[in-house]
Amino acid sequence: MSSHAEKMKNASLTPNSSFRALNNSGSGIHQIGRSSRHPRNLAGSQSRKNSNSKLNCLDKGDQSHTRRAVRVLDEDGIDVTPLVLYHADTGDTQSKQGMLFLEEIFSSSGLDHSQSTSSVNVCSSSSFQGSSRLSNLSNKASLTKESEDSISKLDIPIRPRAPYAELPRKRDHVKQHVTEEMLDEVVDILLIETDTISLLDIPSTIVSEDADDVETIKERNIRYAELCKNRMGNDKFIVRSMQSFGGAPKNKQIQSDEIVTVDKGTTATTWDIYDSFHNQNKTTESEFTYPESNLNGSKIQEKRGETSSSSTVGTSSTISSLLEKDTCGDSSKAEPDPQRILQSDSFQHSLLVMERTIVANILQPKLSAYRQLPVQEDCDRTAKPQTKKQCEEDKMSCLTPAIEHLWAFGCELTKGCSITSMAWNKKNPDLLAVGYGDIDPRNQKAGIICCWSIKNPLWPERIFYCHSCVTSLDFSANNPGQLAVGMFDGTVALYNVPCPDDRACIASSRESSEKHLHPVWQVTWIKQEMRSSGEERAEALVSVSADGRITKWFLCSNGLESIDLMMLRRVQNTKMEAPRSKKTTANDLSMVTPGLCVDFHPIDSSIYLVGTWEGLIHKCSVSNSQHFLETYEKHFCPVNHVEWSPFCPNVFLSCSSDWTIQLWKQGLCAPVLTFTSTQRAVYTVRWSPIHSAVFAAINGRQVEIWDLNTRILYPTIVHHAAPDVKITALLFATGTDCILVGDSDGQATVYELKNLSVGEGKQVDSLEDIIQSAVSKNVM
Amino acid sequence: MAEVEETLKRIEAHKGVIGTIVVNAEGIPIRTNLDNSTAVQYAGLLRHLTMLARSTVRDIDPQNDLIVLRIRTKKYEIMVAPENGFLLIVIQNPCE
Repeated sequence: MSSHAEKMKNASLTPNSSFRALNNSGSGIHQIGRSSRHPRNLAGSQSRKNSNSKLNCLDKGDQSHTRRAVRVLDEDGIDVTPLVLYHADTGDTQSKQGMLFLEEIFSSSGLDHSQSTSSVNVCSSSSFQGSSRLSNLSNKASLTKESEDSISKLDIPIRPRAPYAELPRKRDHVKQHVTEEMLDEVVDILLIETDTISLLDIPSTIVSEDADDVETIKERNIRYAELCKNRMGNDKFIVRSMQSFGGAPKNKQIQSDEIVTVDKGTTATTWDIYDSFHNQNKTTESEFTYPESNLNGSKIQEKRGETSSSSTVGTSSTISSLLEKDTCGDSSKAEPDPQRILQSDSFQHSLLVMERTIVANILQPKLSAYRQLPVQEDCDRTAKPQTKKQCEEDKMSCLTPAIEHLWAFGCELTKGCSITSMAWNKKNPDLLAVGYGDIDPRNQKAGIICCWSIKNPLWPERIFYCHSCVTSLDFSANNPGQLAVGMFDGTVALYNVPCPDDRACIASSRESSEKHLHPVWQVTWIKQEMRSSGEERAEALVSVSADGRITKWFLCSNGLESIDLMMLRRVQNTKMEAPRSKKTTANDLSMVTPGLCVDFHPIDSSIYLVGTWEGLIHKCSVSNSQHFLETYEKHFCPVNHVEWSPFCPNVFLSCSSDWTIQLWKQGLCAPVLTFTSTQRAVYTVRWSPIHSAVFAAINGRQVEIWDLNTRILYPTIVHHAAPDVKITALLFATGTDCILVGDSDGQATVYELKNLSVGEGKQVDSLEDIIQSAVSKNVM
Repeated sequence: MAEVEETLKRIEAHKGVIGTIVVNAEGIPIRTNLDNSTAVQYAGLLRHLTMLARSTVRDIDPQNDLIVLRIRTKKYEIMVAPENGFLLIVIQNPCE
């Protein structure tokens, strides 16, 4: 027996390492293994009772239902008992096994547990090949002995039968009726993190230079290297072969349930990632306010809110639109109402874009000419066959300066209304404000202001109705959305153009006590002196009216406040004046002459020119409200327009109803040049912003373009209006060579100036030269 | 509401405009001046193309978005403005 034990021990030594490994892993198994040893003694005695007397009972073989507490001791007496892999429940072995021939063998012992163990034995002997050569089934006694041994050897109670034994019992458990309450009840599943299970730990054999025991390691390394060197021819070392037992491999098969796989795919596009990240941030922001809203609905509404907020100004409106959209989203159905689509802001924006696109398609060549892009022939268009003559004519006319009709701003609303003034937006050069009205004092209609965009000349972007005829417009430079309006009844008003409806009028001087009593002929924004270097210059609105006052307006909390800059006193002959002046003061209305136009100096904004009804042009200063700095006398009829040259700071033009246009130089009392072409009153004259020596004038029936570089006596281009139509307003376009002509039919036509020859030299110089030559001529 | 109607009518009255279709999120035309079968056909076909175009634009830069998709063909031009869920389709023949 002991030899057996010895052999067995030897045999079982080799699997030790693996069992050791098992030992290390999972403390649970270890515990079970240990606990199994305790009832060993009891069971051992029991086994003695039950087993045959023939059996030499070793103190091993626990034939109790659970474990056999086998202790394996190796040569040194160290307990190297391998641990059990499988721990069966206590009730396992109580089931009956049906192995007939084993029953014969163990007829004496009718216990279930022995049967089970014997069955195990059989299987184990087949599977546990290490013991197979020791077992001998022929001899009954030896069989039992062997069985005992093999039983004892059976450290790993591999019981393939046991699961089957288990099953009937388990089925009882499983047949427990699953009630519905059990389905509904909340099952708490507690997930606990287990201790870290190291499956592999190979410590590194590399030591850092900074480690503490570097020295010893280095010494050892050196010694080892020397040893290896010395090993070759040394007698101390013999090369010998050894044999070790190979481990016995064992096959084990297991079966598991099929793992059900489901393929799921999604495309994570860049914008998808961006959107989800964005929405996540947004929902966390708005979560506290809408805790109960349907998530889907709220997401859609939020998206709508986002897109609509892009078109509104200010964050307060964003929040309010989100609120609105979300509250109605809660109660709405899943399908969005078609009406809601049509009313949503984003739809209106789409409509706007679409309309502009369509119009751009229709007017594409004209618009590109305006933008100074090369006009390309649309090759898909069916070209009308041109006669040879026409081709030649076209070529000829290409060289002479001419104006070409591009398009006209007009719609049914404005048809028939006369255009009185036009102004470009200072910030967005595509926006044009046009004022309509009838200056006839007998026929007072309401005035209209339309804001047009170049991108859609067929319908205005904004339409504002005023109570009186509009006479003058000007956009502010500091607040590009503010439009100052001067009206025929003397009102000065401020409109906020981005507002699309009636709330656009933000201030009006209608109720002001200091309002003008007579028509306001011009309003203009001026930049005041700079306070400090970094500050933007504040702006003030100046209006000129027929009651002889030049007034500066400020926007305060309750409307417009004004300061009088100047009273235009009548300057008459001293003979006539003397007796009167004793009785009347300077502020008497009869002593005051209507002002018709004002223009502030482009560089020094404290100096301005005023054109009066008398025909005098006064140069005044903002700081001096009593006296004129200088007076220019030449015109004998009302001066309709006066304008400083944008290129030469000392030069200005004036036009008057006495059929003349005068070019003045600051400081000279007499005009430098005089221009007349027709016997009609000149209503407006404007300098070209691009060419220094070009200006345009209108006189009721025609538009004249004067180019001082080529001819001084006659206008270079003359364009006649249509027979029934009077031309009433004129404006140059910025950035492009076009002019805008407004007529009495409500059409603001855009013409392109072509083939104006521009001088070679610098702009300023060319005008100065002309003036110099003119002055010298005059002197002579 | 009246403004929107007016604008739509104005668009339809522009020179060369053959038809307009407003399509809702499900691809059903809710307002059109073409016949129903044509409108449904346009709506169905253009939806996918617009979504693809939009996806392309946003893939390149997620902060960008598609405003108008214009398809110029031999006979006319189709313009699609996608918005949140709906499409506005206008077919115009600018050469006439």
